[in-house]
Amino acid sequence: MTVRLTFLGAFIVAAMLLSSVDRAWSGPVEVMQGTEIFTPPPDSEIPAGPFGDLVRKGEKIFTQTGRFARKYVGAENKMTCESCHLDRGRKPYSAPLWGAYVMYPRYRSKNHMVNKLDERIQGCFRFSMNGTAPPVTSDTVKALIAYSFWMSRGAPVGVRLKGQGLVKLPPPARTPSLFRGKKVYAARCALCHGAHGQGRTSHGGQVFPPVWGNGSYNKGAGLYKIAKLAGFIKMNMPLSKGDSLTDQESWDVAAYIDSQPRPADPRKLARR
Amino acid sequence: MLKKVLSGIALSVLIAGSAAPSAGAVTLMAWGKHIAKEGNGTPGSTACMECHRLNGGGMPSIGAPRIAGQPRRYIAREIREVQAGKRYGPVMSGVVQNLSKRDIQAVALYYSRVHAPKLRDVGKPDPSLVSKGRRIATRGLWAKNIPACVQCHGPGGYGVPPLFPYIAGQNRTYLLRQLMAYAFLKRQDDPQGLMRGIARRLTPEERKAVAEYFSSLQPPDRDVP
Repeated sequence: MTVRLTFLGAFIVAAMLLSSVDRAWSGPVEVMQGTEIFTPPPDSEIPAGPFGDLVRKGEKIFTQTGRFARKYVGAENKMTCESCHLDRGRKPYSAPLWGAYVMYPRYRSKNHMVNKLDERIQGCFRFSMNGTAPPVTSDTVKALIAYSFWMSRGAPVGVRLKGQGLVKLPPPARTPSLFRGKKVYAARCALCHGAHGQGRTSHGGQVFPPVWGNGSYNKGAGLYKIAKLAGFIKMNMPLSKGDSLTDQESWDVAAYIDSQPRPADPRKLARR
Repeated sequence: MLKKVLSGIALSVLIAGSAAPSAGAVTLMAWGKHIAKEGNGTPGSTACMECHRLNGGGMPSIGAPRIAGQPRRYIAREIREVQAGKRYGPVMSGVVQNLSKRDIQAVALYYSRVHAPKLRDVGKPDPSLVSKGRRIATRGLWAKNIPACVQCHGPGGYGVPPLFPYIAGQNRTYLLRQLMAYAFLKRQDDPQGLMRGIARRLTPEERKAVAEYFSSLQPPDRDVP
């Protein structure tokens, strides 16, 4: 009995501590990795040897895509995998790799077939990176699969994990407005992504990704869908201040960004 | 090079011609250097070089930041924010009060163009803090929604102009003091409160570690626009 009471006491104290910490973080609990959300294994546990090497290679491709997977990235594209999959593919609600890995193979309406993860990764290169699909047997795909596999170690397979994918916002109360979106963009986004959506560089290297224009994702990419972009922005932007825009602001600014010029959808070019 | 020599000659001619050049008479760059060296001539004005040195290297022992090669817009903005009382700066608030708009443009231009070697901090760096700081700087602490420092301050902490300053090679006293000022004092000039949120979520040891790490690096040596 006393043991139970002590437990209960400890639990209450822990709960109080946690809630005060949450408040001090001044962010919502859902965007953080906690007990409810799957935590991928730490880097320190990547094993030595060939498998670990492949995982580490995958991470390099992931964070410096233009450098380590040059030939599959569009000539002018300035994105990396990490541009959208934050925290090296680990952050909940920014399409984390651990959430994706366990959901493949799966049916996708985008191409009306059951996709394997390697086919999904090819899509990323073709659309978000505005480049060409690396062959499934290429070192690029092998390394990225290994990296995703490693990151989902211990996650249940075939389950929609909390924090997987992007958040699905309820339909906007008012039709998304480019006019309002432009104002939100200027106030909250331009600091990092630039007034013309060009992103920002440091000593010649891209730091903040371009959100429209030739360096950005093309019109075939998932984020060219306003609902997806709004969900991404809502939970992740501005960096470190996720969930600080209202749903409406997220819809508006997503509509504004996706109304700007960007490379064409390669599927439509091919048909011509 | 020739241009530099010529402007150097022009400047010395100007200075020789009148002991205290007036703001309107010289180029912005020369006027900036003059303020840095001797102040702007108003009563009680202080020369920037008293703490930041003429080459912008700063003064690690008192935590005066190195400002050589910081983006021009960033320097100008920070001076204005101190004037407006939005940036906590117990020393600077007195110093910058009598700087005019043109004075600010001039010193910002001058210090954005000068070069200074990295100056040593007082005392040796703590290797365990440096490695802990490196992790935070390059990986972030996402469990607390803290991105890697380099995601905004650029690879290696070299800065992302115009508003993200370089922090590589900055002195550790200054860096720690700013993190504290963001977390607890009235430094409120950060766009959208980004740094305030991050600095608050860092533990005291993490703040120290990050300061230790970036102060252990070399500052960028190339010009930043």
